Amino acid sequence: MDRRLGESGITRRTLLRALGALGLGGLVGPALGARRPAWAQGNLAGLGPEEPVDATMKRLFGGRPIKDGASKIKLDVPLIAENGAVVPVSVEVNAPMTPQNYVKAVYIISDKNRRPLNAKFNLTPAMGQAYVGTNMRLGESTDVRAIAEMNDGSLLQAKREVKVTVGGCGG
Amino acid sequence: MADIGRVRIRIPPSIKPGDIVKVRVLVIHPMEGVQRKDGKPVDKNYHFINRVIVSYLDKEIGQFETTQSISENPFFTFAFKASEPGLLRVSFLDTHGGKYEGTADIKFS
Repeated sequence: MDRRLGESGITRRTLLRALGALGLGGLVGPALGARRPAWAQGNLAGLGPEEPVDATMKRLFGGRPIKDGASKIKLDVPLIAENGAVVPVSVEVNAPMTPQNYVKAVYIISDKNRRPLNAKFNLTPAMGQAYVGTNMRLGESTDVRAIAEMNDGSLLQAKREVKVTVGGCGG
Repeated sequence: MADIGRVRIRIPPSIKPGDIVKVRVLVIHPMEGVQRKDGKPVDKNYHFINRVIVSYLDKEIGQFETTQSISENPFFTFAFKASEPGLLRVSFLDTHGGKYEGTADIKFS
């Protein structure tokens, strides 16, 4: 069933665009936005586009300046990852995490992956510490960036290179 | 894949009020990556977790947006501030409509 909808070429994006043209986007948008129907999510249109990292940065942050945050962000990745399918990464941002000054989001971006954005972590002051970690896939040796978005909108970045022996994205 | 969706949460054995607690969560999930045929990506409904929701005392404290470039059987760590005893709940939502939950009872000792 889900297959059929996907192949007919109707994606959430085209649907919303068409409805927007009719002035109905506002009515349907919230209903689709909160709980997207399962069939739309895993299709290619639901994934991030395949793009170079510059395009990702532009899409996510527009032209906002990104400051060097090497002193505030502790990005922990291995220097050499033997298996690109499982690369542990952890990010710790030195911030007080009070409602006045906290890290709103942490992005993990690997420059040479086909879809560079690995994950976005939305945080709140209730977490007490801006610390997140996960295991990610890397297609080849690449720079890995951690970008912290503060609640005032400023962006900080830390970058490390990871050498990958066997790529983990399966072609 | 009978185990799909099994969630394991690890918290430190002893927690004091006001502590910042580091939590480790693991979920069993294939996290299907994009397949290619003749150099082109195949369009189908890939099965991967795209949302992780962390809530504590029934309040959402964090939300992670994940992609297929997270490893199979994904593992996450995060921290939270233990203010009161209660339930820590981590929910995983995948692209096929699956919802998997793990909970940990936060008690002070």
